[in-house]
Parts: sequence; C-alpha cells; structure tokens
Amino acid sequence: MIDSPTENEQMDSETGPHGVAAPTESATTGAGGRLARRMVDSPEIGIIIALIVAFVVFSLKNPLFASVSDLQAPLGIDLAGFGILAIGESFAIITGGIDLSVGSLVAFFCVFSAWLNVTAHVPVVFTFILTIAIGALWGLWHGMLITRLGVAPFVVTLVTFIFAAGADEAIAPNPISISSGTFLAVASSKVLGIPIAVIIFLIIGIAAWIFLERTYMGRQLYAVGGNREAARLSGIRIDRRVVLAYVVSGACAAVVGLLEASRLTSGTADSVSGWELIAIASCVIGGVSLVGGQGRLIGVVAGAALLVVLQDGLVAVNVNAYYQRMVVGVVLLIAIVIDRFRVRRIERSARRAIRPDRAPGQVS
Amino acid sequence: MVAGREELLLAGVRKTYGPATVLDLDHLRLEGGQVVCLIGENGAGKSTLMGVINGSVEPDAGTLTLSGEPLSGGTLQAQAQGVAMVSQEFPLVGQLTVAENLLLGQRASDRKLFVDGKAMHAAAERMLEAIGLDVPTRRRVDSLSVAQRQMLEIAKALGRNPRVLILDEPTSALGPAESEHVLQLARELAARGGIAIFVGHRLNEVRSVGDRMVVLRNGRLVADLTPQEATEDRLVREMVGKELAQIVEVPPAPDAEPLLEVHGLETENFGPIDLTVGSGEIVGVAGLMGSGRSTLLHLLLGARRTTAGEMTLAGEAYHPRDTSEGVEAGVGLVPEDRKAQALLLDSPIRWNITLAVLKRISVRGLFLQRRPERRIAAEMVKTVNVKCQTAEQPARSLSGGNQQRMIFGRWIATRPKLLLLDEPTRGVDVGAKAEIYKLIEEERKKGMAIVVASSELEELLELCHRIVVLKHGRIAAHFDRASFSKERIIAAAAFGAPS
Repeated sequence: MIDSPTENEQMDSETGPHGVAAPTESATTGAGGRLARRMVDSPEIGIIIALIVAFVVFSLKNPLFASVSDLQAPLGIDLAGFGILAIGESFAIITGGIDLSVGSLVAFFCVFSAWLNVTAHVPVVFTFILTIAIGALWGLWHGMLITRLGVAPFVVTLVTFIFAAGADEAIAPNPISISSGTFLAVASSKVLGIPIAVIIFLIIGIAAWIFLERTYMGRQLYAVGGNREAARLSGIRIDRRVVLAYVVSGACAAVVGLLEASRLTSGTADSVSGWELIAIASCVIGGVSLVGGQGRLIGVVAGAALLVVLQDGLVAVNVNAYYQRMVVGVVLLIAIVIDRFRVRRIERSARRAIRPDRAPGQVS
Repeated sequence: MVAGREELLLAGVRKTYGPATVLDLDHLRLEGGQVVCLIGENGAGKSTLMGVINGSVEPDAGTLTLSGEPLSGGTLQAQAQGVAMVSQEFPLVGQLTVAENLLLGQRASDRKLFVDGKAMHAAAERMLEAIGLDVPTRRRVDSLSVAQRQMLEIAKALGRNPRVLILDEPTSALGPAESEHVLQLARELAARGGIAIFVGHRLNEVRSVGDRMVVLRNGRLVADLTPQEATEDRLVREMVGKELAQIVEVPPAPDAEPLLEVHGLETENFGPIDLTVGSGEIVGVAGLMGSGRSTLLHLLLGARRTTAGEMTLAGEAYHPRDTSEGVEAGVGLVPEDRKAQALLLDSPIRWNITLAVLKRISVRGLFLQRRPERRIAAEMVKTVNVKCQTAEQPARSLSGGNQQRMIFGRWIATRPKLLLLDEPTRGVDVGAKAEIYKLIEEERKKGMAIVVASSELEELLELCHRIVVLKHGRIAAHFDRASFSKERIIAAAAFGAPS
C-alpha cells in the first residue's frame, strides 16, 4: 500500500536523499512491470546485458568462439581463474578493505605448489591441501595485521604483493614441469563435458553466495563494511569478520594458483601479472562498492565473466593483444558511468517519494 | 599592540535555523578593558553568538561593529580585523610541528615561495614564551598532551595580536596552574584595551575571572551582571529561567528489584561508579560535555574495557569483554550519533532492524532464514512505527525521527533486559520526540531496565525515576524523583557537590 503523503515526514537536513531503492515505483506498477522495474533497478543488470552483447558480437564475428571446445577452454578455464580470484577479492572489498596481494599470491602458489609436488615429492592431494591452507594462513596474517595493529589493508597487502613477487622467483628461478596426471587433470579433464576447474569455480561460487546471502556471518560482513562502529555497537565481532574476509581471499588466491599450475603444466611465475587489478575491476564492474558494505556475488561473477569474454573474444577476432588492456579500461569506465546514472535516477525518484508535497503515485 | 579601548557593538543580531530562533539580541555592547563571561545552558545560543562574532556563522539580520568598523564577511575577514577564537576542538594539524602550526597561514619573513625555517622557529618561540609554554618548536603536534595543545591553540590566537579574543571553555582541558595562567593572559589582554570573551561551564571559575557576566537563555540576553550581583544562585536561576522547574507527569514507581548492579566500575579517567537500576526503572544520566555520560553506557554494553569493578545483571555476574557478550547477556544501546554509530544507511530497513538478532535467528548456528527475518522486520516496523512503504527500502530514505525509531526497533527485537539510550532524541523534531518517549515508557512497562544519558535536562526530568549527575567521570549527585530540581542538577553538574 501507499502511505498518504502527509504521513511522510519531512526529512531532516542530515539525511540527504541518496536512497538507492525506489520503493514507490514497484508499488504503483503491475506485476510484470514490477519485475521489469526490479531488474532495471538491480545494479547488475547493465553488466549482464553487456556480457550477453559482447558474447553475441564475438560469436557472430567468429562462430568458433561459441563452440563447445572454446567454451571449455580457454573461456571456461579463464573464467574459473578470474572468477575465483574476484570472489575472494569481493570479500575483502565488502568489509571496506582491499586485497592487493592476490595477483602475486597466485604466481607464488603456482610455483610453490609445483615445487611441493615435484621438488619436495609431496603427494598431489597433500600439495593441494597444503597450498590452500597456506593461502588461508597468509590471509589470516593479513587480517591480524589489519585488526590487531590497525594497519591499512592497502599497505598490509601491498607488502605481500611485493614480497610474494620475489618469493616465487626465489623458490624456482626456472619453471618446474609438473608430471603428475592428477595435478594436470584439474585443468585438462572434464566431467560431463565441464572442465574440473569450472566445477571447482561453481562450487566456490555457490558456497560464497550462500555465505554472503544466507548466513548471519555474511550479513555481518556487509554490516562491518557499511558501518564499522554501528556493527560493533550491535554486538558484532568486527575483527573476526574482517579476518575471515582476508582468509577467504588468501585461500581463493591459492586455489587459483593451483589452477594456473595445472593449466600451464608447470610452476612458472610470469603469467599472472596484474591479476589483482582484474579481480578488483571485476568487483567494481559488478557493482561492489569500494567503500564497503555493498555488492552482490552475482555481479562479481558477471564482472569477471565480462572481462574474460572480452579478453578471449578479442583474441578470437584477432585483435592485437595490447589493445585488450585498453578495452578493459574503457569497459571499466563505462560500467562506472552507467552505475552513476542508475544511482542518480533512483535518487531522484526517492526524493520525490519522500517529499510530502507530492503524492508518491505521481512518480514515474 | 592595541591602541585605546576597543568596542564591539551588536545590534539586532538574529539567527534562525528553520523554525527555531537560536539567537535574538537587540543590543549588546562589549568594551575593551573587561573580561566578559558568557554563560548559558546547552542550546542557549552561546556557540551561535561566538560564531557570529568570529565570522563562522552568518546572522540573518543585524549588524556588528568593532570600534567603528563594520564586522562582516566570514572568518578570514574577522581574523583580519583582529578577532581570534580558541575553540574546544583544536584545529591543529597533527602531522606538522609546533612552529608550523603556530604560523599556519602566516609568513614569518618576506620570502614569497619558500618557508624561512629560522625566522619561523624564532617567531614561534617568541609566541610560546609569551604564554609560558615550554615545548620545542620542532615537536610534532600530535605528540603533545591535550593540555599542551590547548595552550598552543591559545598561543596561536594571541600571536595574532587580537583585538577581540574569544575563549571557549579554555580551561576544561587544563590543570589549575595552567588555568590560572590562561585567565591571567585574558586579563592582560583586557588591560591593554582588548576585549576578552570567556565562555565557561565552571561557574565558580567564571565568577572569579569575569568583570561582567552575560547570561543567555533560549537565544536571548536575560541578564547582564556585575561579579557582585552574580551569586551562584542568581546565575543558575538566570540560566534555567523560572517557567520550567515543575514536572509534568509522574511515572509510576517501579518495583524495587535490582536488575543491574554496578560496584566500583572504572576505566581510564573514569569512575569509580556505583549504580543500581531496577527492572521497570528509568535512570537518567546528566552531566556536562565530557563528564563521561557516553563512557558509562559504553562500559555497560562492553564497548569499552573496564579496568576495575563488579557488575551483576539479573543476578548473574556480568563482565562483558566485548559488545557481543553484552548483547548476548541482554543489553542494548541506542548510541548518541545515529549516522556514525547506528545506521547502515544504504542497506534496507530490514537489515538495520535485524542486525543485532542475526545470530539468534540463524538455524544450525549459521543460516539465516528469510521468512523469520522478514517477519521480525515487519513486526518491528509496526511496533516502533517506522513510516515506510516497505522494509526493503534503504534506511537513507527515512527521516531522522524514523531512523531513530528504527534503531529502537533493532534493540526491541532483541528483547533486552537492559536498554541504554544515549541522547535518544537528538536531531529529531518535537512530534518524533513524543513518539520516542511513548516507546520508552512502553518498554519500561514490560519490565525493561533503562538508562538514559542526555544533555537535555527536560528530557531526563520527564522520563526518569532517578537521575545521577556525572562530573569528571564520577557521580557528583544523585536525585530521586521527589527531589528533582533543575537548578540543583545544573549546580551539581557545574560545581560537583549538590548545593
């Protein structure tokens, strides 16, 4: 129901009309219109449309791009890597922080896992477990420095970014070839036509979605990013939530390191430069606010998918490699501009909804 | 230095914010050679008047003249004409040195582009010497104590050779010797013909320093007294006025069963405090700014660590190590600063309401269920009467009063045993205020114990069964409803002991 306009109190001067939902509109339009409205208002809609458009365009230019084998690799494998990394990154960003270390950590764990398996003769299963555990521990270290010492997340993870970039070279100046069939199967084998790496990505994606949307800890993660002090005074253990976010981010980087090692069939350090920026860009394109407290997993995954489709699509239509980064930059810009327009449109309707001199029904 | 005697004239100065007139002065003449004390309750218009004089507040009407020249056009203009103000929050740049702060915005020599270090430090040392502050000019300001920063701020103001010097509670951060020195500096400035305006809450100090006492109430000048006329009683009476001393409605006496018992509660610069709150009882916490009102509430929730003391809640030992333990034990806090400490502005109303019960309504210790969560949100929206179309709209789209009630809903949803309210009606309008009072009374009737801290005395007088008055982190006085008196509470907050 619509409240009568007189029931809407005049806003206090301190509450600026920057609402992000347009409550009145859904109430005034029909059921079909309501769904359409909700889709238009959902922050992820632009990015999903862009994803579809990009995919269709590349497929028309080069039909092979949409073929089953291309969807499996490179598209599927690349999406698994970028996607998992972006999911981990989004946890850190949702708490209002940032994790700059993930790119370097992927390179590090790529080399480290190969070293464990090949040089140190650790069985494959234990290599995987150890690698992911160390990734999580590394995240724990970040989280502890951030919460206990109050160091800025940017700085803490910058230290790792630099350190890990050297550490991988120190472990193995030359690529370590992996011969274990189990190790290599992660990137090369398929179940029901779906690469195992993609299945891992789907499992992580669903788990992360359930955590963020359907658990109290996930909600508290948003609360910590939205307003730290409010979260604390509401009885939330904010330090634990922040630490958890960096643990997830570190573990995700380790998983992606394993995938890379498997894909490249060797532990080598130089394939992943700039991945932390791609992870952050995926989040931003997908509607995760860098201030914290906002953003959904579906957007993050769509953001990563768009970047993968662009990267691989440009290759498929024979565009020179160095244009790719430029295109990614432009896409990022467009995503940000579109998002600003969307927020502004909603702000306007929220303002009209609140102003008592106009009936909410007049909106739209 | 100043030649002759300065004269500051204010004629017909008025300032309104919306419907509220915060300052309305027909005529005020301040002369050089005097230390003028400006006195009034919170919200009496003192800050606005200081702001008008130093140019940070533009009056809606009226004129200011300083020794014949009109005074208008913002803070820079006022500074150029010789108005200097020492405020309570020090606008010093912590990362810069003492000397750099002292000469911020000024040049120590004629060099145009580069800083003349030697001249700067020499000038700074002269300024420090003049007020008797002994700190190296190359020290960074953020390594100084609060008292030293206060003195530095005064040095900075005096360094401008002001004709009018405004001191806003300059001694609240200082020890007795430093306070005396500052008061001496104010007198010296006056003796040279300048105007010293001293704003203070410690009435005995005000009486000892001032040559003249100007009392404001509700934005108007209500008394202009000589030190002889300004007895303690007279000052309090003028500040309070006569019309508001009576109590409107007496809430029913609560059962005496104590729910919260506090013995010897202490933290840094606070306590020891003893306090008992019964179930169904509302206890008010009064006190001046910085007296420790919020600190007390934060200690009770577990938002700050205690260094000593025993607490029991509903018969059980209660020692919260963090807010999570406090909330779990059945304590809730509606904090002082809604925006900074309570709201998730861009999240839905539902998220805001269920924030403190999330863990409790999760199944298998982790998973949130949508239906119970929506039900709680809808229930609370109704209970506390949040005017919205849906609980899914962002908190930002609500007015201040609705936001505040929503935060009440957050805590009522937890069914707390003890509810702590810090400035529960700050920044809400009169109608919303009445609704919040009604809510408080309803929850009290259900047996909740409530502690309200407020800077509005009327609020406490209306709501509470008992009032404790804090001063410097200790309980200075304790009033039962039968003995409520605005005069005595103000006197206790300002002087310490009940008169």
